[in-house]
Amino acid sequence: MSTQTQTETDSTRRGFVSRLRASPFLSDLLSNRLALAGIALILAMVAVALYARIGALVGFAPTYAELQSSQFGANPSLAAPSAEYPFGTDIQARNIFDRVLYGSWLALKFGTVTVGISTAAGVSLGVVAAYYGDITDNVIMRTMDVLLAFPSLLLALALVAIFPNELGLWRAVTALTLVYTPRFARVVRGAALKVLEDEYVDATIALGATDPRVLVRHVMPNCLAPITVQSTLNFGLAIIDLAALSFLGFGAEPGSPSWGLMLSNGVSQGLLTGDWWWSFFPGLFLAVTVLGFNLLGDGMRDALDPRMREAVD
Amino acid sequence: MVSKRFVLKRLLLLVPVLFGVATLVFAILHLSPGDPARVIAGQRATDAQVAAVRADLGLDDPLWVQYGRYLVDIVTLNLGESYIIQRGTPILTILRARLPVTLELAIYGQVIGILLGIPFGIISAVKQDTLTDHLTRVGALTGISMPIYWTGPLVILLFAQFLNVLPASNRIASQFDPPVYTGLITVDTFVFGLQSGEFAAFVSAASHMLLPAAVIGVYGMALISRMMRSSMLEVIRQDYMRTARAKGQGAKITVMKHGFQNALIPVITVIGIQFGTLLGGAVLTETVFGIGGIGTMLVQAIEVGDYPVVQGTVLVFAFLFTLVNLGVDLTYSYLDPRIDQ
Repeated sequence: MSTQTQTETDSTRRGFVSRLRASPFLSDLLSNRLALAGIALILAMVAVALYARIGALVGFAPTYAELQSSQFGANPSLAAPSAEYPFGTDIQARNIFDRVLYGSWLALKFGTVTVGISTAAGVSLGVVAAYYGDITDNVIMRTMDVLLAFPSLLLALALVAIFPNELGLWRAVTALTLVYTPRFARVVRGAALKVLEDEYVDATIALGATDPRVLVRHVMPNCLAPITVQSTLNFGLAIIDLAALSFLGFGAEPGSPSWGLMLSNGVSQGLLTGDWWWSFFPGLFLAVTVLGFNLLGDGMRDALDPRMREAVD
Repeated sequence: MVSKRFVLKRLLLLVPVLFGVATLVFAILHLSPGDPARVIAGQRATDAQVAAVRADLGLDDPLWVQYGRYLVDIVTLNLGESYIIQRGTPILTILRARLPVTLELAIYGQVIGILLGIPFGIISAVKQDTLTDHLTRVGALTGISMPIYWTGPLVILLFAQFLNVLPASNRIASQFDPPVYTGLITVDTFVFGLQSGEFAAFVSAASHMLLPAAVIGVYGMALISRMMRSSMLEVIRQDYMRTARAKGQGAKITVMKHGFQNALIPVITVIGIQFGTLLGGAVLTETVFGIGGIGTMLVQAIEVGDYPVVQGTVLVFAFLFTLVNLGVDLTYSYLDPRIDQ
């Protein structure tokens, strides 16, 4: 009797880890070199972001206010990249290297918020639409269809115009959250419909589980894979779109060391004078970060697709 | 074949979506801060003047009356007049003049993307898991990771600033003033060239098109080659491919004849969706390359608060986007009749 209980707890305890090990998704992902490269790039960017942010708080890197205000006297204006200023300086004599580093903190922070909220909202809407069907499904999904009927950047631009300028990047975040939510809702609804066909769901309902319990404990965990892929790929897009809104002048507040705004200034003021470093480095960091998310997302998608697994002669 | 019933059903499904689009645009515009009457009357106008303008615009009416009038206006294709950027000009006239600029750019960009993306995708799939495949895939992923507002300035710096071989902005050198037939500047200057025997304007227009179209094209190439690869990989594993090979057909012919045609179906979807995205992305490309299409106009209209222009542009773009998607769906079901059922 006691040995049996022993094995039972052992197997439940081991359950999670061994399930992860046995999962073809994870082992495929980890054997995918491109996906690993993506993870490495993302981790490197997170490290850079944390360095700049913690440095600004603790004092070993410039603070946000220092990065925002002009540095005449302290630095030369529009200096080309050198040992002292690896990425050069901009027209207000600010060190572009420090600004680009801090920019990764802004990109990852606002990207996380955008993708996090739209994932949460999209997953809830998608699961609810799939589970309740009928009118609920129709009302939710037709609303999503309307949002999906706009080219995404255009809808974001129109929405941004509603919010007051003082909100800075937060209005871009709000607008993009509305733009991204339907994408998650649609993917999750499709995945949830498939899960709902499974017999264990019927069994759980027959056992008297409440609706929220069925959805949260049984449906959502089984939709996790497509949700993760969608979030990863959209993270890259979010970083691009957030910077695009800043680039067009509807995002970050003036002077903020956001990549999009730096690019915008570098393009409008530095392009025809040939001060290439001004726009080159912010864009490079942006592209490398987005590449990291795309490599990882692409690898995940391959790992999820069993058709791509077997080799063909 | 696509059955009439299927087309009809899709068209009917379009009605609620377009209605929703119109309603959302109305809501967005009414939530926007700023008073259109004040904008029109000018900063120095007295309150009485502003109130007169407001009454004149019908902004004093209850919201549902304004909404009803707005819907009737849309159905009768009356999108109103610009307040500020081209004061008094009907929105439709403005859009008609600017739309070809945006479309032309999108078309050239898309053509470059297709011509490069499809071959790359096929090569990548046929040589799956070789170095060629890895390089193509990383190249494609890099392509979609670089935003147009970064690659655009880079090519401008390289080709216009340092090498000085191509123009950086505008659609044509300022000394030319070609006649407008279609609004597509390369077509217009070409026709003009045929008539007059003078092709300098055409060369100028084409060289101005090269950089922005190439930047859009590289982005499109990345998306298309990715889709082409995965679709081709799926098709290659089908039984009929093995049968064709077993009959003694060569590998290349099998891939091109049986594989290519079938693999193309999902790629068409990507091309269609991408065209819609290009319309939205025009905002960025046109800003970077200083091209006066719909994109730059929209940004300007949002900045100065020219609401009818914002409203009209967003509406027209959303309608176009929806129509393109419908076209893609119909093509898709034409190519793969199983979808119809």
